Amino acid sequence: MTNESQPTLVLDHVTKRYGDFTAVDDLSLQVRSGRVFGLIGPNGAGKTTTIRMIVNITVPDSGRIELFGQPMQTSLQDRIGYLPEERGLYRKMKVGEQLKFFAELKDVRGKEADARVDRWLAKLQLSDWKNKRAKDLSKGMQQKVQFITAVIHDPDLLILDEPFSGLDPVNVELMKDTILENKREGKTIILSTHQMEIAEKLCDDVCMINRAKKVLDGRLREIRRSFSRNAVALQFSGGDGLLQDTTLVANVRQNGDDTEVLLAPNVDAQMLLKRLVESGAVVNKFELAEPSLHDIFIEKVRE
Amino acid sequence: MKKFFAVIKREYLQRVRTKFFIVATVMGPVMLGLFTVLPVYISNMQVGGATRLAVVDQSGKIFDAFRNALANGNEDVENDNENPSTSAINSNREEQMKRSAQIGGQRFEAELIGLDGRSLEDVKRELNDRVRANELDGYVIIPPDILGNGKAEFYGRNTGDIFTREAVADRLSRAVREQRLAENKIDQRLLREASRRVSLVSTKISAQGEEKVGGSGFMFVFSFGLLIYMSVLLYGQIVLGAVIEEKETRIAEILFSSMRAFPLMMGKLVGVSLVALTQLSIWGLAFLVLAGFGVGFAAAQGVPINLPHLPPIVLVYFVLFFLLGYFIYATIYALIGSMVTTTQEGGQLAMPIVLMLVAGFYFVFPIIRSPNSSLAFWASMFPFLAPITMMVRITTETPPAWQIILSLTIGFATVVGLVWLASRIYRVGMLMYGKKATIPEVWRWVRQA
Repeated sequence: MTNESQPTLVLDHVTKRYGDFTAVDDLSLQVRSGRVFGLIGPNGAGKTTTIRMIVNITVPDSGRIELFGQPMQTSLQDRIGYLPEERGLYRKMKVGEQLKFFAELKDVRGKEADARVDRWLAKLQLSDWKNKRAKDLSKGMQQKVQFITAVIHDPDLLILDEPFSGLDPVNVELMKDTILENKREGKTIILSTHQMEIAEKLCDDVCMINRAKKVLDGRLREIRRSFSRNAVALQFSGGDGLLQDTTLVANVRQNGDDTEVLLAPNVDAQMLLKRLVESGAVVNKFELAEPSLHDIFIEKVRE
Repeated sequence: MKKFFAVIKREYLQRVRTKFFIVATVMGPVMLGLFTVLPVYISNMQVGGATRLAVVDQSGKIFDAFRNALANGNEDVENDNENPSTSAINSNREEQMKRSAQIGGQRFEAELIGLDGRSLEDVKRELNDRVRANELDGYVIIPPDILGNGKAEFYGRNTGDIFTREAVADRLSRAVREQRLAENKIDQRLLREASRRVSLVSTKISAQGEEKVGGSGFMFVFSFGLLIYMSVLLYGQIVLGAVIEEKETRIAEILFSSMRAFPLMMGKLVGVSLVALTQLSIWGLAFLVLAGFGVGFAAAQGVPINLPHLPPIVLVYFVLFFLLGYFIYATIYALIGSMVTTTQEGGQLAMPIVLMLVAGFYFVFPIIRSPNSSLAFWASMFPFLAPITMMVRITTETPPAWQIILSLTIGFATVVGLVWLASRIYRVGMLMYGKKATIPEVWRWVRQA
């Protein structure tokens, strides 16, 4: 198992260009061991290029990549599990044989490989499909088979590029559980996605990339706190006119059932709660609102 | 290295187990058999019974001999067969076709028509009516002076039937010849004996001493080249498909995250090639068994057959240069597969290059004439020509071993070089989905990768 004190992955001033186009520009980041690391950003931001450098499909033009404390090299590939965004299976190959082949490519062979194929197929409820050809599977099933190819060799680092796209809600939950289970086993997980709600629920740390550059990096909780805008989410009735008081409230926004109130400068939430109660309003919900990752994402991309 | 074998294993097993492979492997020899036997059989098919001919013999001397000749078939062919150097194995296809068409034989019915005082015009008119009424297929008019000027006339419903025309001309010539010989009192058997051809037995002087070889050297190299060409045509597309498959299915990305491109590409090439070799070996064995039966059968019938006599080392070279020829061209398909996105596109691109193999045949004759010239040397060192040109040199005047080894080394080094190039192009090209690359782009990929 990887050492706690040492990061699983370090990118140090990594740059990658394709001709005149800079796909990744001077990116530095650290992925700590045993955590779920979210690599987020809009389409074309450079996420996939970054991942391809991490899995050693391409090499950076400049900068350094260190994995498990060693400079990147081919032999480390066996310790990475990778689910690419562009997925594919051999269409005419049987699921079981296919998985065994991918296991062999990661240096797991023989009976051990067979046992793991069976175990994973059972776990993702695919055992009945072992002898079916990949082309006869539904899209969701193919997704799950692909996921198995990423985890079959029990990798220390798991990289998942948009793992939830194309899955139905039941399978999204199954996938989430499997990811969290991997985390509990001490694996490090890099999750690349632009589905912010999911990233928000799963990630411990995030790094946001936009237009080839890093725009944000750190523990998710701290990031959200730093973006907190002194706001409160409310559900209440009565207390008419209170929210029109500009000495108290800077802005009001309706968000579903919630009323989002941005407090005026020098007003704290306690003061608002007190005034609400005094005005005779019935308060059903009173919550300090931290901005969602979605909001932060939008804000950062628009900057 | 283990991953390399995993790739080979997958390519091999997945392809060998397909129904297509099994059917093709079984059907190959069957089709081969059918295509060699059927055309002969069909052309021999006797449709509509004997050809009915009327003969107006104005000379009064030819009809009996002509009818005999028509009944006996073609004597000239049998004469040719007395020369063992043109045994059935070596003769060309056209001759074979002709001969089988004649031996299998058309039957003729000849009917003598006398003028009986009528004019020739009247008789012709009457015969024309009979031909139109389908009582006759044609008629021959033999003029009184046929022995002198050797001209006769043939009238028929179907003058486009060259076989009938040829046969009539041939049989009539024979009848006329016999009559001429008889009139000059010359024994026919004596004449045949006197005009028999000389047969030339050639003996090759090599370092090992004297060896008898037939004129089979060229045929041997020709079939060898054809074998390479056929297998490249059959399997080049499959190599191409195997390389493109992973681009189309997007598996390439997972593969590249697990292993380097070179062993992947090499593994695919070797895997598909093993499939090709499996199929060819099965076909080869089937052919040998059939040929063995054939030769045994022919020998039992008393037909002398000269099998080309080859020293064992030549068979070793045969296998090595076959592999070289196959791999060098299969690799070109792999290289092209790494650049394109669809198989059709790739097939078109590969064709001109595979024609290089055919170009190798152009060098065969100059090399046969002087196998140690510098042209022969360089042509046999150039990897794309070497499989053919070096085999020509080996079967005519075996060059020093170092030249053969050098040629093989250059060839297989070229294969490795091309695979290396293909794997680089493949890896970078894979990352730029869905578009065909231009040559400058490909060049940039090679440097970038």
